[in-house]
Amino acid sequence: MLDNTADAQKTPLVKVDNLKMYFPIYKGVFRRQVGEVKAVDDISFEIFEGETLGLVGESGCGKSSAGRAVLRLYDITDGSIVVNGHDISTSHGDNLRKLRPEMQMIFQDPQASLNPRMSVAAIIAEPLDEHQSLTKKARMERVFELMDAVGLSRDFAKRFPHEFSGGQRQRIGIARALALNPKFIVCDEPIAALDVSIQAQVVNLLEDLQDKLGLTYLFISHDLSMVRHLATRVAVMYLGKIVELAPRDLLYSDPQHPYTQALLSAVPEADPTVESSRTRIILEGDVPSPTNPPSGCNFSTRCPKVMDICKIDTPEFKQLKDGRHVACHLMK
Amino acid sequence: MRMKSILIGAAAALALAPAANAGRGDAGHVNIIYWQAASILNPFLSGGTKDVESSSMVIEPLARYDENGNMVPWLVTEIPTVANGGVSEDLTSITWKISPGILWSDGSPFTSADVVFTADYCMDETGGCQQLAKFSDVTNVEALDDLTVKVTFGKPKPFPYGPFVGGESPIIQKAQFADCMGAKAPECTEQNFGPHGTGPFRVTEFRANDVISMEANPHYRDPNKPAFATLTFKGGGDAAAAARSVLETAEFDYAWNLQIDPAILTQMAGAGKGTVVSAFGTGVERMMVNLTNPDAALGDKRSTVEGGPHPFLTDAAVRRALSIAIDRNTLAEVGYGAAGKATCNVLPAPAIYASTANDECLVQDIAKANAILDEAGWAVGSDGVRAKDGVRLSILYQTSTNAVRQDTQALVKQWWSEIGVETELKNISASVFFGGDQSSPDTFQKHFSDIEMYTNLFNGTDPEAYMNSWTCAEIPNPGNNWLGSNMPRYCNPAYDALSAELSGTADIDERARIAKAMNDMLMQEGAMIPLVHRGRVSAHSNTLGGVVLNTWDSELWNVADWTRN
Amino acid sequence: MLNYTIRRLLFTIPTLLFISFIIFLLLDLAPNDPTGNLPMTITPDVREKIRESLGLGQPIHIRYFKWCVQFFVNEPLNIVEQYFDITIGQGDRLRVSSWSTRSPVGDLIAERMPQTLWVVGMSYVIGILIAVPIGVYSAYRQYSWFDQTGTFVSMVGFSVPTFFTGVLMIVIFSVYLGWFPSKYDTLHVVTDWESFVFQVRQSIMPVSVLALFNASTISRFMRASMLDNLNQDYVRTARAKGMTERIVVLVHVLRNSLIPVVTVIALGIPQVFGGAIITEQVFSINGLGALLIQGIQGADIPLVQTLTFIFAVLIVFFNLIADILYGILDPRIRYD
Ligand SMILES: Nc1ncnc2c1ncn2[C@@H]1O[C@H](COP(=O)(O)OP(=O)(O)OP(=O)(O)O)[C@@H](O)[C@H]1O
Ligand SMILES: [Mg+2]
Repeated sequence: MLDNTADAQKTPLVKVDNLKMYFPIYKGVFRRQVGEVKAVDDISFEIFEGETLGLVGESGCGKSSAGRAVLRLYDITDGSIVVNGHDISTSHGDNLRKLRPEMQMIFQDPQASLNPRMSVAAIIAEPLDEHQSLTKKARMERVFELMDAVGLSRDFAKRFPHEFSGGQRQRIGIARALALNPKFIVCDEPIAALDVSIQAQVVNLLEDLQDKLGLTYLFISHDLSMVRHLATRVAVMYLGKIVELAPRDLLYSDPQHPYTQALLSAVPEADPTVESSRTRIILEGDVPSPTNPPSGCNFSTRCPKVMDICKIDTPEFKQLKDGRHVACHLMK
Repeated sequence: MRMKSILIGAAAALALAPAANAGRGDAGHVNIIYWQAASILNPFLSGGTKDVESSSMVIEPLARYDENGNMVPWLVTEIPTVANGGVSEDLTSITWKISPGILWSDGSPFTSADVVFTADYCMDETGGCQQLAKFSDVTNVEALDDLTVKVTFGKPKPFPYGPFVGGESPIIQKAQFADCMGAKAPECTEQNFGPHGTGPFRVTEFRANDVISMEANPHYRDPNKPAFATLTFKGGGDAAAAARSVLETAEFDYAWNLQIDPAILTQMAGAGKGTVVSAFGTGVERMMVNLTNPDAALGDKRSTVEGGPHPFLTDAAVRRALSIAIDRNTLAEVGYGAAGKATCNVLPAPAIYASTANDECLVQDIAKANAILDEAGWAVGSDGVRAKDGVRLSILYQTSTNAVRQDTQALVKQWWSEIGVETELKNISASVFFGGDQSSPDTFQKHFSDIEMYTNLFNGTDPEAYMNSWTCAEIPNPGNNWLGSNMPRYCNPAYDALSAELSGTADIDERARIAKAMNDMLMQEGAMIPLVHRGRVSAHSNTLGGVVLNTWDSELWNVADWTRN
Repeated sequence: MLNYTIRRLLFTIPTLLFISFIIFLLLDLAPNDPTGNLPMTITPDVREKIRESLGLGQPIHIRYFKWCVQFFVNEPLNIVEQYFDITIGQGDRLRVSSWSTRSPVGDLIAERMPQTLWVVGMSYVIGILIAVPIGVYSAYRQYSWFDQTGTFVSMVGFSVPTFFTGVLMIVIFSVYLGWFPSKYDTLHVVTDWESFVFQVRQSIMPVSVLALFNASTISRFMRASMLDNLNQDYVRTARAKGMTERIVVLVHVLRNSLIPVVTVIALGIPQVFGGAIITEQVFSINGLGALLIQGIQGADIPLVQTLTFIFAVLIVFFNLIADILYGILDPRIRYD
C-alpha cells in the first residue's frame, strides 16, 4: 500500500483534469441567465485501478456534482475526463451510452433512485437488455446471481422497491450497478441514508465486491472515519475545489491544508489518550455561496491562518514532495 | 336519409322553379328553428309558446285569427255570430258547423265527436289542462250531428270564442286520446309526442326538447298543399344563434322570436340571405305600481290591502311624475328595436281598442315631472331626494333577470334621479319571479317591492279576461294563496262596474268603448306605467315564400301556404 | 383488491341514498315553479291545477319515497324488461316522468346519450390523445419555444370560455367560409361514407372546441407530473444504466407520470356524461347538458333530480375506478 510511487507509474483508470461543473441560474419572466452555481470549480485527480479514492467535504461542497460529472450524468462546463482510456468529456448520446457499462454509480438515496413501478428483477435486468443480448433464462440467471452477490434473497425478485428496508434497497442499487460488470463505480454516500448497524454491512459488501471483482471506487462521503476505513487515497473538497489530496495515512496523520486540519480536528478519536489531547479548530462564519465564491482562495473567508495573498490569488493545486497535493499559499 | 331528402328537395326546387311548387311536396324540405325546443306536441299539457306553435302544424282549431286579428273559419264553414244564428240571442251558446270531408292524418274522418272529446279531455278535473281558461264557463259541449257542435255556457258569453279558437285550443283525435283522460294524460307519451291531426304536416319523429321531423299530411284537405314534403323543427341554442342560422348561414329557413340586440340583428340581416319580420300583438312591457305598503315590518300584511296604503305611491302626482320622466322611445329603441314602440296604454291592440287619451307620456318631460312634484309638496332634501312629512321618495324597483330589463332599469333609475327620486334596483331569476312558489318572497304576485316590471299580454283578440285582471277580486293575498293578477292591488268600484258591463255586452263597438274606458281609467289613475308595446321579431330565408307573421295566433298558422321561391 | 372494491361498493349505497335525498331536498327548497315559464295568459287557478296534477301538493317525504320507488325499482325493472323482452309482474309501472315533456326521464336520457357521448366523449378522447404527447414533450423540453407555445395555447384553451371559442368558430367556419354547419343535426344517421363525412363535418367544431379545453387541462397535468418525475433520482439511475433517452422518458418517466394523470382522466369521465352545457347550447347539440339546463330552467324537478343523481352515481363510481386504477398502476398503493 505504500508503494505509491510504483502505482504512479501505472496509467490511471480515471483521469480528471480541470473539471468544471457550473449550473446556470435563470430568473424573471424571460428566464435570463443571471448567474451560475459553481458546484465544481476546476478540480483534477486520478484514480488508479483497484483503488478507492475517498472524496470528503461538507454538505453542499459539490461532492455529488463532482461524482455525477465524472460519470457524465451532467453535461460538464469544462475540463476533461478520461475513463479507461476513453475521453468522455464531450461524448454524447449513443457514444456515451455505449461506455456506460464500464462506469456505474451507487446513489445517495436508495429509495428515490429506484423506479417505484419496476420490480427488483426488472430494475436489475433492464441494463442487461440494453447492453447485452442474453436469453430470457440467462438474463434471469444473471439477476439471481447478482442478488446472491449482494445478499438479497432470490424470492424478492418480483417485489417492488417500496417493499424493502433501506439497507435492502441499497443492496438493490448495488446489484443494479454491478449488473454490467463495471470497472469503475462512483459510490455517492451509499450509506448516508442508512442505520449505523446496516452501514457496516453495506460497507463490508462493497469491500468484498471490490476484492472479488477488482472494482475501482470513487467513494464520496462526509463521514471521515468511514473514508479512513475504506479509502486508499483521500481528496478533501471545499466549495467546489479540491484543497488537499493525499494517501490516506498521510492525510489523517499529518493534514497540511488548514481546512483539512479543521475537518479532522472534529473527528473523535478511538484512542482515549489521543482524544483527550485533541484540540478542535472551530471555523468562523458560514460557507460562502457557490454562486458567488470569494476572490482568491475559496477558504480565505474562514481560514484561521489567512494571509493577505489569500484574498487576491487563487492558490495552485501543487504536488508536494511526499506525493500529496495541496492548494494553499502556506505550502512553499 | 334526411340529407338525401334535402338534396332531392333542393334539386326538385331548382328543376321546378318556374312551375313554382305546383303540388304537394314539390318544394322539398323546410327547416324551422325555435331556440326554445318543443317539449311535447300537446298544448293542453304544456302551454309554452314553442309547444303550442310546433303542434299548430299538426293539430288545428276550428277557427284561427289572421295576421290582423280577424277570426277566420279553419275547420268550419263560417264563424258563428248572433247575426248568422250561430250564437244564441241570450249569448249562452255557440254552434259550430264543421266543414265536410276533413280527414285526420290517419285517414279517418274528422267529426264532432272529436271536438266534444277535446272539451272533455281538457275539462277533466285531474288532467291539469293548461288551456282550461279557454273553457271557462262552459257547461256543456255536445254533438248535434256528425258535423255540428254546440257549446253551452253557464252565463251569457258576449265573446263565446274561447273554446276551439286559436292555436291554444286545437282539436285532438278522440280515437287516439280516448285512453289518456285525466290522470292518465301524462302517461300517454306516444300520443303526446305524435298526435294525429288535420294540419298540413304529420309527425315522423319527435325528440323532446330537441327536434321534430314532419312530413306532409297525405290526407290534408287541400290536395296541393303543403308545398313542402318534409319539415324539420329544430330547437335549442339561443336567439342569436337561431338568427345567425337563418340570416347568415342560411341553414334554416325560419327562425322564431329573435329577441336579441336590435343592432346585431340588423347587421346579420345585412348578409342578404334572409329577412327580418316583425308584428305587434298585445304585449306591453309595463311597471306595476304597488298601491299597498310593501314594508317588511308589516309581516303577513306586507303588500296586502290590510297592510294599508303605500306611503307615497298612492299620491297620483308621484305616479304621474314617475311616468312622464321616462323616455319610452329610448327604451323601445335601445331594448327592442323593430320589436318595440313606445306606448301609454296597457291595451294597445287590436286597433279598435287602442286609446289615444293618455299620449301625454309619449314624450319625456323631466321639467314638468319636477314641477308636478314641487306642486304636490315633495321638496328636494339635502341628499337630493324628495321627501314630504318624513317620507322619502325611495323606490325598490324589481324585475326578472334579463339583459334588456336590466338596461331599462338602469335608464329609468337615471331619469328618476333627475326628478329627485331614489331607486334601488333588484332582479330575480325568471323561474322564481314568475313561479308561483308560495314560500318565495320574490314572486311577482307577492310584489314585495314598490314597482315591478314585466310584460303581460293576452291571446286572441278579446281583452275581456285581460282587463278583468285589475278588478278588486283579482288582488293577490295570502287568502287566495297569492293567486291573482291584480299586481298593483288596484281596487275601484267604478272599474269593477265597467268590467261587469263588458261581460254583458256583445256588440263589438260597445265592447271597444268599454274596454278603452277601462284602459284609460287604469292609466289616468296610474295603477300601471306602460312602457313599450312589444312585438314579435322573426326571420325567414329569402328563399322561403308565403310567410305571414301573425301575433294573434301561432306564427306557423299558415305553414301550409309556405313555398320555396 | 376485490375485497376492497366490494367494501367500497357497499359503502356507496348509503352515500348515494343520502346524496339523492339531499338533491331532492335542495330542489324542493329552491324557489322554483314548474309553471313559472308558462305564458302569462295561463291563469293562476289553472297553474294551481297544473301543479296539483304534477303531484306537488303532496308532502315531501311521500314524493321522495315515490321517486325512490320509481328510480330504484321501476326503472331498473323496465330496463330488464326491455332488454330481455319479458314482462315482470304487471309490467305497467309508473316511471320517473319529466314534467315538461310528460315522458319517462329514462327515455329522454337514452335519446340524448348518443350525441353527448359522440361529441363530448370524442372530444375527451381527442383531448387526451393531444394532451399526453404535448405534456410529455413540453416537460422534457421545459422552457423551450415548444413549451412556451404550449403554455400559451393551453392558457387560452382553458381561460377563454367555450361559448366564445364556439361562436368564433361558427362565425369563421360557418358564416364566412361555409365549411361546417353551425347547428348539430341530431337526427342524422350514419349509413354510408357520405353520411359519415357529414357526421364528421358537423362534429368538427363542437369536438374541437371541447377538445381544446380538455387538452389544455390535461396537458398541464401531464406536464406538471412529468416535471415532477424528470427530476427524480430514478431517472438519473436509468440514464446511468445507459438506457436510451427514449426509454428513459417514455418508459421510466412517462409511466410514473401517468399515474396521477390517469386518475384525473378517470375523474373527468362523469363530466363527459354530464355533457357540455355551454357547447351543447352553442351548437344546439341538445345532449345531456342541454337536457339538464332545460330541466333547471323549467323547474322540471323529476328530470333534474334524476339527472343530477345519475351524475352523482357516476362521480362516485369513477372515484372508485380512479382509486382502483391507482392501486393497479402504483405498486406502492395496496388496498386490502
Ligand atoms: N442541478 C443543479 N442545479 C443548480 N444547482 C445545483 C444543482 N445540483 C447541485 N447544485 C448546487 O451545487 C452545490 C453542490 O451540490 P452537491 O449536491 O454536489 O453537494 P454535496 O457535496 O453532494 O452535498 P451533500 O453532502 O449534501 O450531498 C450546492 O450548492 C447545490 O445547491
Ligand atoms: Mg451529495
